[in-house]
Amino acid sequence: MFRKVLIANRGEIALRINRSCHELGVATVAIFSEADRGSLHVRHADEAFCVGPGPVARSYLNIANIISTAQICGADAIHPGYGFLAENARFAEIARDHGLTFIGPSPSVIAAMGDKATAKRLMREAGVPTTPGSDIVATAAEAAAAAREIGYPVLLKATAGGGGKGMRVVESDADMPNAFAAASSEAEAAFKDGRMYLEKLILSPRHIEVQLLGDEHGGLVHLGERDCSIQKPSHQKLIEEAPAPVLEPAVRAKLHQTAVAAGRAVGYSNAGTMEFLVDGDAVYFMEMNTRIQVEHPVTEVVYGVDLVKEQIRIATGEPLGFTQDDLVPHGIAFEVRVNAEDPENNFAPAAGTLTRVEFPGGPGVRVDTHVYSGAVVPPFYDSMLAKIIVAGRSRESAISRMERALAETRIEGVKTTVEFCRELLGSPEFARGGVGVDWLPRYLRARQPVA
Amino acid sequence: MHDETIAGRVRPLARAFRDGGLTRLTVRDGDFEVEFKRASAAAHPERGAAPAAEPDRPTQAIVADVVGIVRFLRPPVVEGTVVEDDRDLAFVEMLGIRNGVRSLGPGRVAAVYVTDGQPVEYGQPLFAIER
Repeated sequence: MFRKVLIANRGEIALRINRSCHELGVATVAIFSEADRGSLHVRHADEAFCVGPGPVARSYLNIANIISTAQICGADAIHPGYGFLAENARFAEIARDHGLTFIGPSPSVIAAMGDKATAKRLMREAGVPTTPGSDIVATAAEAAAAAREIGYPVLLKATAGGGGKGMRVVESDADMPNAFAAASSEAEAAFKDGRMYLEKLILSPRHIEVQLLGDEHGGLVHLGERDCSIQKPSHQKLIEEAPAPVLEPAVRAKLHQTAVAAGRAVGYSNAGTMEFLVDGDAVYFMEMNTRIQVEHPVTEVVYGVDLVKEQIRIATGEPLGFTQDDLVPHGIAFEVRVNAEDPENNFAPAAGTLTRVEFPGGPGVRVDTHVYSGAVVPPFYDSMLAKIIVAGRSRESAISRMERALAETRIEGVKTTVEFCRELLGSPEFARGGVGVDWLPRYLRARQPVA
Repeated sequence: MHDETIAGRVRPLARAFRDGGLTRLTVRDGDFEVEFKRASAAAHPERGAAPAAEPDRPTQAIVADVVGIVRFLRPPVVEGTVVEDDRDLAFVEMLGIRNGVRSLGPGRVAAVYVTDGQPVEYGQPLFAIER
């Protein structure tokens, strides 16, 4: 086991990783920016180092300062969390070159799967179905030509992307130049890589993803699927659920088998997620995330597995401690993302001081958060404040539990998504389950008062 | 507590403070409390903020702009060292690269907040310069 792990992240995921490390008896080193000096992840860690000023490029993406911190603290591994450097193959490589274990897959797998266009090509070669799409398109004109071939509407996506950043729906040639410029510069800012590719837009697919865990000895299992179809117009997930509701057993089995086959095809190790678009019986590989994901807790709840601990164990070279047959899901789990955003104003992010913070408790409720009463939400980072996760024996009981948990939640000082998510949980379509990714944007349009 | 006793307790602490090259030392034991401060570093050096100056001379904090290990020059810059222009006061070694810590102009070193070989974080005050 490692002696000391540097957690190269902030916010709730830094705390989440810190908890697993401490349960494993591993010491932790936090990094923080000048804007996060008062953050909870700094207080929970055994040691903490400031690595730069607020803007991410100079702190949480500052590879030299982060690796140097690991060295001077005597850390033997780095956990990257999600976002920031989590899918940066170069960072994983530099860590390795400095004698540090990167808790994740190998740099070559990160590079191959992190480049979304390359990943799709690899998957097609492995016999995994993918959505019709293009390779990298260098210019708006090239993108328009490829889009005409695929057929509009298309999804313009950043090859380094994730979290809905650097992504645009494009309806026609006329919209392409603006969409290309905006998405590409957004991707450049977020991932330091503005390269784009196209995918055919399937109008009402469900976003269902399969959790994988692979060890470094060829062992690979899936931990079922998560339905992440409740997405904002920006394609960012808002409510997630495991397992996926109203899914034909044959489609569920196809998802699991395809994900495992795809994982094996690239020799995947550590935790990863295969994202699929599901359109009726059709299953298309969309992308693979070579990291722990925001919504991992719903899988943890249903399978009773601590995914972060498994990541750490796998990185030390341990084989998986279970087989596919050992993994049996129980019940239903939901996750609601509590963001500092105004749902009444296109989810505009808000920064400020949280004057009052009260989270729910009671049976079947888990809260992963880094905020507290009096905490400051800096303007530099993701707007997520907390994840509220509930478990239930049935979908109905889990929904009632989430409604109750959200009713107990009080966050004052910034606008949040709490009340809006509670409203969504009460809608008949949500109760029925199985809506597509287009549902929430349509819901929002229908909800808007007629001007 | 007797004066005698206080003096008896303070003397070895004062010696340790002087010989240890510390800038500030507080010892508390029940209702007994003693604090030693170096005159030039009278204020607790708040990270990133300029330490309080001597009354009539403005001082500037020289902070680390990378994370690494402080390496002093030979001979090292000490309190009282006068610098004539913008020059290196020390290095911060990061990933085997020595990053110079510049004095940012002439002045007198009013305080040294770190010791040779100490790990430092971004923005950590290393020296105070009296301009």
